[in-house]
Amino acid sequence: MPRLRLIRSTSFRLAAIYLVLFTCSVVTLGAFVYLAIRNETRAAFEARIVEEDDALKREFDLKGRDRLIAVIEARSLGSAPMSYGLIDAQGRSLAGELAPEAGKPLVAGWNDLSEAEPDEIQATQPELVHALALRLGDGAWLLVGDEWRRSRNLPTLVLGAFSWALAIMLALGVAGGLWLSARFVTRIEAMSRAARDIMAGDWRRRIPEAGFDDDLSSLASTFNRMFDRLEKLFAVNRDVSANIAHDLRKPMAHLLRRLEAMRDDAALSVARPEVEAAIGDVEGVLETFEALLSIGQIEAGARRARFTPLDLSDLAREVVEAFGPAAEEEGKTLVARLDEVWRLRGDRELLVQMIANVVDNAIRHTERGARIEVSVEAGPKGPTLVVADNGPGVAPADLPRLFDRFFRADASRATPGAGLGLSLVAAVAELHDLRYIAKDNGPGLQVRIGAFVE
Amino acid sequence: MRILVVEDEIEAAKFLADKLMARGHEVEIAADGEIGLKALLTGRFDVVVLDRMLPGLDGLGVIRAAREAGVSTPVLFLTHLSGIDERVAGLEAGGDDYLVKPFAFEELSARLQALARRPALGGEATVLCLLDLEMDLIRRTVRRGGELIELQPREFQLLEFLLRSEGRVVTRRMLLEKIWDFHFDPRTNIVETHLSRLRSKVDRGRSPALIQTIRGAGYALRAPT
Repeated sequence: MPRLRLIRSTSFRLAAIYLVLFTCSVVTLGAFVYLAIRNETRAAFEARIVEEDDALKREFDLKGRDRLIAVIEARSLGSAPMSYGLIDAQGRSLAGELAPEAGKPLVAGWNDLSEAEPDEIQATQPELVHALALRLGDGAWLLVGDEWRRSRNLPTLVLGAFSWALAIMLALGVAGGLWLSARFVTRIEAMSRAARDIMAGDWRRRIPEAGFDDDLSSLASTFNRMFDRLEKLFAVNRDVSANIAHDLRKPMAHLLRRLEAMRDDAALSVARPEVEAAIGDVEGVLETFEALLSIGQIEAGARRARFTPLDLSDLAREVVEAFGPAAEEEGKTLVARLDEVWRLRGDRELLVQMIANVVDNAIRHTERGARIEVSVEAGPKGPTLVVADNGPGVAPADLPRLFDRFFRADASRATPGAGLGLSLVAAVAELHDLRYIAKDNGPGLQVRIGAFVE
Repeated sequence: MRILVVEDEIEAAKFLADKLMARGHEVEIAADGEIGLKALLTGRFDVVVLDRMLPGLDGLGVIRAAREAGVSTPVLFLTHLSGIDERVAGLEAGGDDYLVKPFAFEELSARLQALARRPALGGEATVLCLLDLEMDLIRRTVRRGGELIELQPREFQLLEFLLRSEGRVVTRRMLLEKIWDFHFDPRTNIVETHLSRLRSKVDRGRSPALIQTIRGAGYALRAPT
C-alpha cells in the first residue's frame, strides 16, 4: 500500500508530468538532430557519387571506352569504396559489378540496384546500392554507386545515442520522482499524523518542522502557530466552563445542604413536602450539570489514553442482564441477540454507560408490552450495535435531532429527564470513532451505532 | 468512630462535622493539606474524608505522603468531577473509595461505615450467616432455615455483599458500583428490581424479614432488634 500511496502523491504526479514533458522535448530534439544529420549525410553521399561519375565520364570523353573499362577494372580491383558498372546499349555488362536487374531498364539519374557479389556467399541479403546512371556518347550506361548502408551509419549512431540518453533520463526521472515524493509524503504524513493526534484530543501535539526553510516547513510552522492559538482559545473556553461549573456548583451544593438541614430539623415548622420537592429540583439541576460536564470531558478526548481491548457484545450482555428484571417489572421484554463478537479498543465504563443509556431510553419511552431487542449485527464493513423497540417511535422530523443536547421529542416531555442521555451516547460514540443514527423501526425506534452505519 | 475531615470549604466541613457528630462520631476538621497530613500521621483516626482539591498540598499529595509513612487509615476521596481520571488517580494514590460532590449525607455515612469496618485481608470466612440464613461461598449455595434457595448469579453477589456489610446501610450507588461496576445512575430502577427479587426469594413467607429498606438511604441486611 505505501508504494501505491507514493505513486498517488501530488509530488510524484508533478514529477511524472514534468518527466513526460521533458521526454517529449528530448524526443523532438532527437528527431530534429536525426533528420538534419540524415539529410546532410545523404547530400554528401550523393555528391561523392556525382563527382566520381563526372570524373569517369571525363575519362571516357577524353580517352574513349577502352580507357574507361581499364579505369573501372582498376578501381574495382583496388580498395575503392564505390561500385561501378558499364553497360552497353544492348544491356550487356562491359565492366564492374553493377548491373540493372533483369527486366528493369535503367533510367538516367538515380537507381537503386542490388549488388551482385558472387564472392560474398554469406551475404544472404543483397546490399542495396544507390547508383547514378549516366548515358555515354556511345549509348552505353555508366553506373557509379555506393551502398545505402554507408549513408545511414552516422544517423543510426546518433539515433542510438539519443535512445540511450532517453532511457537513462527516464530511469533517473522516475527514481528521482519517487525519491522526492517519498520525502514529500513522509513530511505530509507527519503533518496529518499530528493533525489526527490533535483531533483525538492531544492539544499539545505539533507538526515537526524541518531544520531548513522551505515552503513545507513554513506551512508547518504556520499550522503550529494556528494550533497554539486554538489551544489557548480552547483552554480559555474550558476554563470558562470549568469556572462556571465550579462557581454554580458551590451555591447549589450550599442550597442543597440548607434544604436538607431544614428537612431534617424536627424543631422547624416547614412544609416538608415542599422542601422535599425543592431538594428534588436542586438535585435535578446538579444532575444536569454533572451530565453536561461529563459530556464535555468525554468530548475533550483525554480518555482515549485509557482505552483497553474489549468485546462490545460482552458489555451489551452485561447491560441487558442488569436491565432485564426492571424491564420485566414494567411489563416489557428485553431480548439480547449478541452472538457476534465485536472487538474494539475503548473505555469500558463509558461504553457500558452508552449502551445503558440507549436501553434506558428505550425502556422509558415505550409502553407496557413493548419488546426491546439489543443486538450486534455483522456487516461487510464491521459490526453494528442495534437497539430496536416496537414502541410509539419518534416523528421522522425529530429523528436527526435526537442526539442533540437538551432535545426532547414532544411526545416525551411528560417523562422525566433533561434530554442529555442520548447526547452522552453521541459523545461516547464519537470518542470511539463510531457513528450513530436513529431510524424508524416500523413501528418503534431503532438506534444503530457502528463504525459504518447508513 | 473517629473521623478526620480534610476540607478547605469551612461551611461544608462544619455541616458535615455536625451531621457526623449527631450520629455519635468524633470529628476533627483540617482546613488544608498540611494540617490534614499532620493529623493523619498521628494515626488516631478510624477513617478520613479527604477533599481532592486543597490549597497547598492537595488531596493526592496528602494520601501519598501518608501511605509512604505507613499509615493505612482508610481514606474516602471527595472530588468535584466524576471523571474516571480523577477517580483512578485517587485510588492509585492509595485512596479506598471516592464520592463526587455534592453528595447525599447518607451516601457518605454509609461509605464511611463500610470503610471503617473493612474485613481484614486473609481472614475471610467461607460461610456467611445471619440468624437462619446461611451462605456457603465455596459450594455457592444459600439456605434459609435449612431450605435451599435458588439464586441467580447477580442475586448471589448481591446477597453476599449485603451479608458482608451486615448491619450497615448500603446505598444504591454503592451497589451499582460494587455489583454491576456501573459508575453512573441509570433512571431505570435496576437495583430496586434486583433487590425485590432477592427479597422475595429470601424473605417471602419467612420471618423475620432480613432485607430492609432504609428510607432515604438504601438497604441493610440485619436481624430486627
